[in-house]
Amino acid sequence: MSPDLPSIAEAGAAIRAGNLTSVDLTEHCLGRIATIDPEINAYHVVLATEAREAARNADNELQQGTDRGKLHGIPIALKDVFYWKGHKTTSNSRVMIDFEADEDATVITRLKEAGAVLLGQLNTYEFTFGGRPSREPPFPPALNPWNTARVTGGSSSGSAAAVAAGLCLGALGTDAGGSIRLPAAFNGIAGLKPTIGRVSAHGDMPLTYSFDCVGPMAWSTKDCAIMLQAIAGFDPRDTTSSRVPVADYVSGIDHGVAGLKIGMIRQFYTSDFASPSEIVEAIDNVGAVLAGLGAEVETVEVSPLIDWHAAGRVLVPAEAFAIHEDRLQTQWETYGRLARNRLMLGSLFRAVDYIQAQRRRTELLAELEAVLERCDVVVTTGTLTPTPPIDDTEPFPFIDVPTIGIPFNLTAHPCHVVRAGFFDDGMPIGAQIAGRHWDEATVLRVAHAFEMAAGLLERRPNLKR
Amino acid sequence: MTPERMEEVSMSAEDEMFEALIAASGVPVRDDEKADLRNAYTSLMQLARRTRHAGRNWEVRTLPHFVPEPPEGAKD
Repeated sequence: MSPDLPSIAEAGAAIRAGNLTSVDLTEHCLGRIATIDPEINAYHVVLATEAREAARNADNELQQGTDRGKLHGIPIALKDVFYWKGHKTTSNSRVMIDFEADEDATVITRLKEAGAVLLGQLNTYEFTFGGRPSREPPFPPALNPWNTARVTGGSSSGSAAAVAAGLCLGALGTDAGGSIRLPAAFNGIAGLKPTIGRVSAHGDMPLTYSFDCVGPMAWSTKDCAIMLQAIAGFDPRDTTSSRVPVADYVSGIDHGVAGLKIGMIRQFYTSDFASPSEIVEAIDNVGAVLAGLGAEVETVEVSPLIDWHAAGRVLVPAEAFAIHEDRLQTQWETYGRLARNRLMLGSLFRAVDYIQAQRRRTELLAELEAVLERCDVVVTTGTLTPTPPIDDTEPFPFIDVPTIGIPFNLTAHPCHVVRAGFFDDGMPIGAQIAGRHWDEATVLRVAHAFEMAAGLLERRPNLKR
Repeated sequence: MTPERMEEVSMSAEDEMFEALIAASGVPVRDDEKADLRNAYTSLMQLARRTRHAGRNWEVRTLPHFVPEPPEGAKD
């Protein structure tokens, strides 16, 4: 087997052709974890014994003619925020260090039903609040496999690092303000925040009530589509879950972009925030590549990024504080300093601030809906700045620098990050592609077309093997 | 009142509001950490002001909206 991991699609095909077993693939992942993870801290817990048993079962089932689909026998890992019966779920906080749920999160149930091999629990910023990583929680921060002196981005830090380093074939993350997409961009992988309600959040430790989404992270867009297919769908245990039928995300992914209309939100990374020239060139190139494939590309304008950022910066901390209020009152010292102060930001708003921000959210949603009436998707940058150093000490970096992920959290549109290029120093650049509510299929189709045409996925982090 | 004096008064009012909100939270914030939060508070209030604009129609409601499901078999 090549030292680098195959994609989910490649591994699934090889397993069905009899050229690979789930046991061999799982052992390969476990070997890479043992060698590489001490360098990047992607995992909180590796469940080697359970993974080996699941892999044996997957192989046995296939031999007996039972095929659970494209994730059958595929090693996947999960952010340490999902309830997992028989295991502790910590969200990287001492507050939850002994917490053990008495049921599985719905996404864990669905991955098991799909035959996936669950390798373990992945690193996160404490209680999934983004910003910068902290060294205070129980587990040290995940480091970026492309350069361990840089952050991974968060909060799905371990998910992005593990996929980028080839320590699993796919991972689940969560996203309330960019927590799937920012680390996906910083680590050069693909990551999808679905429409709110598309994937059950039951058993996902909450950060907010009106933003939290669960989504897939993988090396390629096609792999994200395969994962989404397994976890999407109505769940009566999640009151935000939707009965909108689940589309086929995989079979139409190769249909190309000819005739689709693409709106480029250039103002976010040019005039609203002066991003480095490498970002501007890389994101503009996404539009150029899609135009070359037959899409109709135009520049679209919406309210300044600071307006989206303002609404998000009121709403996310306010909801997060409401979730943690009683624990902060009684267990202040048990939280890490960064996490408790980020959560405390939400105590500084009055009720009217929260309501006005929600009303602004309504207006911003209407703006983006109008754009998406004439465009099938919109494209903008996944990050505004180069990847920050790991030793940055700013407590609240997300206040004064606009949050580029938040617009699509506010509007609940599906939004996906793809690798769009590299900085001169070799760090990846990501682009966001967002589409209409429930239309993850078109978002993934556009992203896949770009990935195939751009040919940027061959480069991998330089890690010891 | 000079602009400098107006700023002093404004900052003083903001200080009072900040202290009141921290006290109302019931959370035992340490003094050194309160200083970081106080610095952030000014920026947060600027952002909160940006979510407002004069003349906004009161029909602009909050998100998410909630409408109960119609009973089974109900017609439009």
